[in-house]
Amino acid sequence: MQKKSIKVVFYLLLAFALILGVAGCSPAATPAEPEAPAEEPAAPAVEENKFEGVELTLAAMTDQYVTAFRVLIPRFTEETGIEVTMDELGYVDLYQKLTADFVGKTAQYDLMTVDIVWSGEYAANLYTLPLDDFMERDKAELNLDDIMPVAWTLGEYEGKHWAYPMAGYANVLNYRKDILEAAGITPPTTQEELLAAAKALTKDEMYGIALLGAKGSAVAQDYMAFVQQHGGSILDADGKVALNTPDNVAVLEYFGELFNYAPPGSTDYWWDQRETAFRTGIVAMMEGWSIARAGYENPEISSVVGMVDVTAAPVSEGMEPQYGFGGWGIGINASSSELKQEAAWEFIKWLTSEEIQKEWVKNDGAPIRRSTLTDPELVAMYPWFPLMLESFEKGDGDYRPRIPEYSIIQDALGTYVNAFLVGQETAESALQKAQEQVEANIK
Amino acid sequence: MLCNVRMSAQTGIRTHETTGATLVQSLTQTIIKKLKSDPYFWLLFPLLLYVVLIAIYPLFFSFRISLFDYRLTDPNQIQTFVGLKNYIRAFKDPIVLISLTNTLIFVAGTVSIELLLGLGLALLFSPETKLAQFVRSFLLIPMALPPLVVGLIWKSLYNADFGVIPFYLKQLGMDVGRGPLGELSLAMPAVILIDIWQWTPLLMVIFLAGLKSLPQEPYEAAYVDGSSRWQSFIYLTLPLMKPTFLIAFLLRTVQSFKVFDTIYATTSGGPGNATTVLNFHIYTVGLTFFDMGYASALANILLIVVTVLSIIYIMVMTRRQL
Repeated sequence: MQKKSIKVVFYLLLAFALILGVAGCSPAATPAEPEAPAEEPAAPAVEENKFEGVELTLAAMTDQYVTAFRVLIPRFTEETGIEVTMDELGYVDLYQKLTADFVGKTAQYDLMTVDIVWSGEYAANLYTLPLDDFMERDKAELNLDDIMPVAWTLGEYEGKHWAYPMAGYANVLNYRKDILEAAGITPPTTQEELLAAAKALTKDEMYGIALLGAKGSAVAQDYMAFVQQHGGSILDADGKVALNTPDNVAVLEYFGELFNYAPPGSTDYWWDQRETAFRTGIVAMMEGWSIARAGYENPEISSVVGMVDVTAAPVSEGMEPQYGFGGWGIGINASSSELKQEAAWEFIKWLTSEEIQKEWVKNDGAPIRRSTLTDPELVAMYPWFPLMLESFEKGDGDYRPRIPEYSIIQDALGTYVNAFLVGQETAESALQKAQEQVEANIK
Repeated sequence: MLCNVRMSAQTGIRTHETTGATLVQSLTQTIIKKLKSDPYFWLLFPLLLYVVLIAIYPLFFSFRISLFDYRLTDPNQIQTFVGLKNYIRAFKDPIVLISLTNTLIFVAGTVSIELLLGLGLALLFSPETKLAQFVRSFLLIPMALPPLVVGLIWKSLYNADFGVIPFYLKQLGMDVGRGPLGELSLAMPAVILIDIWQWTPLLMVIFLAGLKSLPQEPYEAAYVDGSSRWQSFIYLTLPLMKPTFLIAFLLRTVQSFKVFDTIYATTSGGPGNATTVLNFHIYTVGLTFFDMGYASALANILLIVVTVLSIIYIMVMTRRQL
């Protein structure tokens, strides 16, 4: 009797192991499930308590706007009964966790903040739900015309919307009023003036400009921003990756020259260290996203309160002004259940409504709507909003190409631009090797 | 309750039968025979199952995947058989060579210095004085910290503009340039130093255990023969400690080969490729490009390198002992 039961348990365990093995071996052959049916009757929009008790999870980048999420989410739950749990993740972790979630179709996150550069990849792989059906259904309440045209680049790819605009950033030039005045320098309006000003302002323990130099996404994105400001592109006319063009080499030489007037540790700076450099007052100028601007007036984290002003990011001489645009959209996981997707759409709709956008921006969020950028109360709070409006009007959201291969390009540039800055490569050989690495990894 | 067990047992058997692998069946029969004759083998079973699930199965899976072209982000999850193409690609990849060299430098640097320092510390703190006990417990703290946290702390300590270490170096009139992690020539020594700081205490503990277990008689005999302390260290302590050395060396070599978190938190393999170790390159290929086939091939190459080195070392050490 005892032996028999032992045998039985053994078989059980064996069967268990086999099942696990079999399940593991067979590739997840089931094709991607068809998108949520568009034919769904559009009627049950205002059904009472439909979403009562629905629980959503949101994966959010730890950018300034998480503060706004923390304030607004309880209010949303109160109004709709939908629970939203937020996971705050760093840039690299967010990308990797989301990809793992999408690939495994585990739907651990229903809502996610989507960086502008990810939209192409998400679209190509059907990771997020295209929002066009929802948008068509709720057209009347969305007031789409109010959203700045450039903000659509936050999630649109090849005609469909894979994420909804949430937080728009403009590339601007922050500078120290006091230091520039003392040196008799007017805020630079061209790249040539920027270099001259950086040179003139660097003396003793004071540096002209703070830049991103750390290997990885930091240096890659800063370099691409300067390519944009010189009117260049890292893609050729056919949309193919072309990193090693003479123009791009020239921009890289320029970028390297700027580093002579940056703090010595700059080749190791990520965004946070660049911010620290500016906030502690060791640099006179810094290009960066507009969302950080409000922080310079907060005495708890800044020792340059009242000394900072902001102007449009300088472009190369003679170039039609165009400003780098970036930021975040918010997307819905394509693998989430239909009810959750509906609830998630409610959240997006609510968050991006004119009324809530005002609260969003007041709590360190970033604007996407014209009405927000021109709201008198907000303009009084943030005097740089008219400048942002102008930058948005002439914004370019595609200087970092939103194509599925973006992460490969970014990694190659991140390695070799950094190698150039520390003197391991020349400008030509750096871009040549980056180009080779991209070509080896794109299939 | 009993009935339930029986029910589920039956369904279990049925599942097994339906999978119908005759080879597995005959294998299980021999195992069952063995179990009947020696019932205490049962005690091993949970552990064996655990090892199969956690180690053996993933190992075979990674070997299988390395023969395929398999991109995790592919929406259709297509796996195409490509034979050894991924391995051939690895030999053509310039970064593989760079990262393999970097890994070897890292391993040589950390393991040799840690062994020496660990032995020195162990000898220093082996007497059971109050002070030694006190210091010993404090030296264990770095080992208990997660490497990622350690990496982040050191990164801020090393920062050229706000960091503590360059600050004092500047006070001493030294030129710190781009900071220890930013200079091509200094980045590798800087990350090696972090590893040494964190893992020397582990070796100290291993060596302490070794020292404590040494027999006293040879020392007494040597004392009677009039040997100096230095002589008994060279001719007694070191040879007697050989098995301990083997363990410590192997443990640290294998760990050092697998270094990832320290590099990830401090330099991301930079500046340029100066600190890109093989494991970091695998991570980039696997978790940034999601090119699983190629990443598995690279991981298997790392596994082979580590295994070969371990075998050589074990052979050398055991032969000397004989």
